[in-house]
Amino acid sequence: MSKQLLEDKGWNPYLAGSLSGIVSVLSVWIAGQFLGASTTFVRSVGLLEQLFSSERVGQMEYFIKTTPKIDWQWMFVVGIFIGALIAAKTSNSFRWEGLPDLWQQRFGPKSKAKRAIFAFSGGAIAMYGARLADG
Amino acid sequence: MKMLAYGMITGIAFGFLLQKGRVLRYDKQLGALLLKDMTIIKFMLSSVLVGMVGVYLLVDFELAKLSIKATVLGGNIVGGLIFGIGWGLLGYCPGTSAGALAEGRWDALWGILGMLAGAAVFAETFSFMKKTVLTWGDFGKITLPAILGINHWIIIVLAIIGGLALLRFFERKGL
Repeated sequence: MSKQLLEDKGWNPYLAGSLSGIVSVLSVWIAGQFLGASTTFVRSVGLLEQLFSSERVGQMEYFIKTTPKIDWQWMFVVGIFIGALIAAKTSNSFRWEGLPDLWQQRFGPKSKAKRAIFAFSGGAIAMYGARLADG
Repeated sequence: MKMLAYGMITGIAFGFLLQKGRVLRYDKQLGALLLKDMTIIKFMLSSVLVGMVGVYLLVDFELAKLSIKATVLGGNIVGGLIFGIGWGLLGYCPGTSAGALAEGRWDALWGILGMLAGAAVFAETFSFMKKTVLTWGDFGKITLPAILGINHWIIIVLAIIGGLALLRFFERKGL
């Protein structure tokens, strides 16, 4: 196997984590923005609901407080996708797969439907909790 | 428009580092929840400790202001417990799910759709929660240095010592 096809081991988590800490400090300094992601899901679903009934969305207390719009954080989440894509593609660690290794060890290779149900409900539960905790 | 560009650039840098730190993957997230692989805790704690020092330096030099969220025990505790159940089922966080999808781990897409559904349900039930859970133990916008009445650098140094002790423990146990 040629060396180029091997996935790199990634960076030391202390190094990558510390650098991400510096990124967060620079963001606070330059843009006055603290890093976060979950509000973006609220704004996004508000934008989607607006397509069907903008009147209703306009009257909902939570959407009055958290206006459905594309803001700094929304672009931040899109940026995470792009940044991770660049890092994955340049280190041969991009892998198109629908079942994580650990999941597959436990539930087998034919568990895609089960994974979909668990991931969807897990996402819904996690986001509900995150919003309730204001995190 | 400028803010949108800042958001995008910050996200690219952050997403790049998340992927390089190998913290986006289901196996890594579950590894931490199973107390078997603390890679994501190492990443998060390093980020928090560096961020804490940097942000407070900015505050001391009056270059930035803190953005303090209210401490509401009802919301924080009940919400935190609910979040943990969902995180364990999904194996990705709200922010990292976008990065996991970018790595080709497309099961994250189910998680993203679920998170949109969860956000919609929360928006529907917010008025009820605001009158109940979100009134339990509301302490307002407090910080540890403020309630203890001491300089914030004392707390920062203690947090760094505590954080480094925890990381040293992980390394000794080979986690």
